[in-house]
Amino acid sequence: MKIGLEIHVQLPTRSKMFCACPTDGVAPNSAICPTCLGMPGARPSLNRSALEMGLRLAKLFDCRIPERTWFSRKTYFYPDLAKHFQVTQYDNPVGEHGVFDFRGKPIRIRRVHLEEDPGRIKRVGRQGEEMSLVDYNRSGIPLVEIVTEPDLSNPAEARQFLTDMLTEIRHTIGLSDENEQSVRVDCNISVGVERVEVKNVTGLRNMERALKYEVVRQTKMLRSKKTVVRETRRFDEERKVTLPARKKEFEEDYGYIGEPDLGVYNIRAIAESLDEKETPLTRAKRLCEEYGMTEGISRQLINTSMDLCDLFEDMAAAAGTKASLYLVTDVISSNWSRIKGILDEDLRSEIIEVARRYSDGSVNDLEARRLLRALFSDEEEDTGSTAKGDPALLEAAVEKAVSANPGIFDDYAKNEKAANRLIGDVINSTKGAFSSQEIVLKVKERLERGP
Amino acid sequence: MLDIIQRRIFMDKETVRRVAMLARLELSEEEIESFTKDLGDILEHFSMLDELQDLDDYGFNPVEVVDVLRDDEPHQEIPAEELLRDMDTYEDYVRGPRLS
Amino acid sequence: MSSPISMSRIRDLNDEYGMFYSLGDGEGLDGSRFHFSAKDNLTTKDHPTTAGSKILSGYRPPFDAAAVESLREAGGVLLGKTSMDEFGFGTFSVNSAFEVPLNPYDRERSCGGSSGGAACAAALIDGHLALGVSTGGSISCPAAFCGVFGFTPTYGRVSRHGLLDYGNSLDKIGMLSADCATIAELFPIIAGADERDPTSCGHPPIGECRIPDSVGIPAESVKGLPAALRESFDEAVTTIKDDMGIEVKTLDMPMFHYAQPAYYIIATSEASTNLARYGGMRYGARGKELGQHFDRYFTAVRSENFGAEVKRRILLGTFTRMVGLRDRYYLKALQVRQAVIEEYRRAYKEVDAVLTPTMPFIAPRFDEVADMSALEIYLADHLTIPPNLSGMPHLNIPCGYVDGMPVGMQLVADHWDEGCLLQAGMEWGRLFGHVKPEVKI
Repeated sequence: MKIGLEIHVQLPTRSKMFCACPTDGVAPNSAICPTCLGMPGARPSLNRSALEMGLRLAKLFDCRIPERTWFSRKTYFYPDLAKHFQVTQYDNPVGEHGVFDFRGKPIRIRRVHLEEDPGRIKRVGRQGEEMSLVDYNRSGIPLVEIVTEPDLSNPAEARQFLTDMLTEIRHTIGLSDENEQSVRVDCNISVGVERVEVKNVTGLRNMERALKYEVVRQTKMLRSKKTVVRETRRFDEERKVTLPARKKEFEEDYGYIGEPDLGVYNIRAIAESLDEKETPLTRAKRLCEEYGMTEGISRQLINTSMDLCDLFEDMAAAAGTKASLYLVTDVISSNWSRIKGILDEDLRSEIIEVARRYSDGSVNDLEARRLLRALFSDEEEDTGSTAKGDPALLEAAVEKAVSANPGIFDDYAKNEKAANRLIGDVINSTKGAFSSQEIVLKVKERLERGP
Repeated sequence: MLDIIQRRIFMDKETVRRVAMLARLELSEEEIESFTKDLGDILEHFSMLDELQDLDDYGFNPVEVVDVLRDDEPHQEIPAEELLRDMDTYEDYVRGPRLS
Repeated sequence: MSSPISMSRIRDLNDEYGMFYSLGDGEGLDGSRFHFSAKDNLTTKDHPTTAGSKILSGYRPPFDAAAVESLREAGGVLLGKTSMDEFGFGTFSVNSAFEVPLNPYDRERSCGGSSGGAACAAALIDGHLALGVSTGGSISCPAAFCGVFGFTPTYGRVSRHGLLDYGNSLDKIGMLSADCATIAELFPIIAGADERDPTSCGHPPIGECRIPDSVGIPAESVKGLPAALRESFDEAVTTIKDDMGIEVKTLDMPMFHYAQPAYYIIATSEASTNLARYGGMRYGARGKELGQHFDRYFTAVRSENFGAEVKRRILLGTFTRMVGLRDRYYLKALQVRQAVIEEYRRAYKEVDAVLTPTMPFIAPRFDEVADMSALEIYLADHLTIPPNLSGMPHLNIPCGYVDGMPVGMQLVADHWDEGCLLQAGMEWGRLFGHVKPEVKI
């Protein structure tokens, strides 16, 4: 089985690719101008950020970047395409012959090119007699198209591959998670000899579904000695099946010509001037090697945020790996959505200070967690017990928890995990005066003793 | 100098029909007839280009236009309402023909 | 600089000669610094802009073309929009859905094209500046036929923002006027970088203005010229030598021969994509029935509203960029353009400018035009095409009269060297016996 993907990702620029219209227009036809409406006399002007993002991606995939690039006109008629030609790249795209290291397996990248998105069509009217209503807010939004060679060998692998690739892409061009729906994929899949293309599938899950459906369909056909025809299909998201795309009256001939309104771009020089940041997956690998963490944890960190990784590395430098990793994977990760909005230099040093104190034993784990939580929260927290470490207090807290949980001894006899209920209560009521280790010991001891 | 094989391009009505379809033009029989002749004459004249060997150098503009880029600053000069003024719209969507 | 002119006089002239598709209200004309017109393929805010095509009937652009905007800001008043061949596709201004302009020297004859209305206005309205557009000779040709100066700057010198495209790598906005000094004075207003047109950015300023020391005449350019035109041209060359003190050489420029097919291929390839946008949505002519399948809808609007020459060029351009033909035609044409530019560069090592006749005949009568085949008409541009293909600035200089009709010569300079053309034109203007057309109203 061979699978190749053509991946389209909208680039997160503030203005459109060839005009200054904003990219965040909501009300229909609010972010429009003569250029993206294809009005006579209006012409394009290339957005520097879009070009740079394309080049960053070409570098990410280790592509050969030509000395010069330019754009081309791809002519076809469709109601969402304002000029009835799309400005895209044909010869000399921003990148060619790249590779993506997918967990040790090289997936070859045929090309990376930039192009403009057409407008969005809303269909209205009865099926078969639909009229189109066009919103040009999307017309001219920059897209990157990444074309892989058919190096993927099954639908699950394709999805994992695309997940990894998107992790890298997101970081490289600053694409937020919410934009994931704007990933559109054309999937080429052949189980036997003939290749079928499933066009314009939105999102990762649909892509895997479409591919799986094709595997089953093509396998069945081959088993019953039918021939799979080379064709273009589309994916019906509701019925979760692929269907033959409507046959056109005739084949278009795109008649590519160079776009004469833009000129050329010396992209090799521009690409060389762009700084290179460590990508998430290379960082994950380095975190494993440098800090001895598991692959799972390193992935969890990079998937949460590269800023979290930065924080971890700063903490580790001051407080050692063990203490920092404990706090980062625990209380910091679970509060990250709050922290990321308020993390400034002061907060960073305060967090590092807590980690240092935890690491040298001046505070125990629960207290460290409580202190950190207090840093992340607006509310004034109870500053906790002053009678730190008094065994009588722990004794009392455990007894209080026992009486608040009638039947706990029976439950514990059935399943030792019932102890967690008491442990939780005691942790809450003692507010960090005792370490979790001390509490666990005391609670277990009490439960073993029986009622 | 002429080591290329001279393939003459003939213009016929079939080709004119196909090209017209690509360009979304509907031609009458008379138009097809006259365009076939005109285009045939013109292409015959163009065939002088076959005398020339391929040259490496070409550009898309007669003067150098290099690295002209715009900063990524959103900006709209003409209000959207003004642009939509003369268009056929429905709830601010532009009406278009049937898709299928 | 302008002599008194009134809108009623303009209307009268227009009734007789048809140089305007539409007129402005003339507001501010009295006491204005100057008056100008714009070819109808330049957008004018809220004012009809049709490029001579039915497919744009009713269109009122939401913005002014850059050149129009600059002239207005400089105190110019727009008199109106001048008639032309539909989208610039023609040599005689007869290919249009609207009024055909008549030659100021003989109304039985063509003004030339495609900026025919512009040349006619420049010839008939005192002190007038007409904005024209040239892709393959659309300024030089009508300027020659109407006996005015027709100036086409270097490609990229003037912003094309607001120009309805014919061939984007060839289109140049220029100026026509009976007086070269008017052009020299107003040209700097429209020249210069405009971020709305990337091809206008990053070129050198207009160079120092000096009359060329030497000009070269390509031997090929006078071959086959009718005797009367040859005589007139030779006389002008004598004046250049003897009265202006310019050295005249003969050049060999064999690539000129190939410029013509290369030009038509590039121009129509680009045009066929530019004109794809006209399909009856958003602006201009609408289709009758949105309930039609889009292919039918677009096809119907286009077939009903494009004229025959537009269809011919769309077909030609679509053909030459098709799979399998693209290398042979389109890419080859781009290579030839480069070779023609290099040939000019070689010439400029020997001389400051290249001189040729402008057109191989005087303005033809309309009945003669009607008898010409498409190919014959294309071939009439063979002297104006080389500088246009290669983006070289050029100037039609009225240089004589044959049978009472004006004849022009065309001076071509290197990229960005417009200054020497305008100086030469002004100097010539002082020596030349200009014959004003007799206005019959």
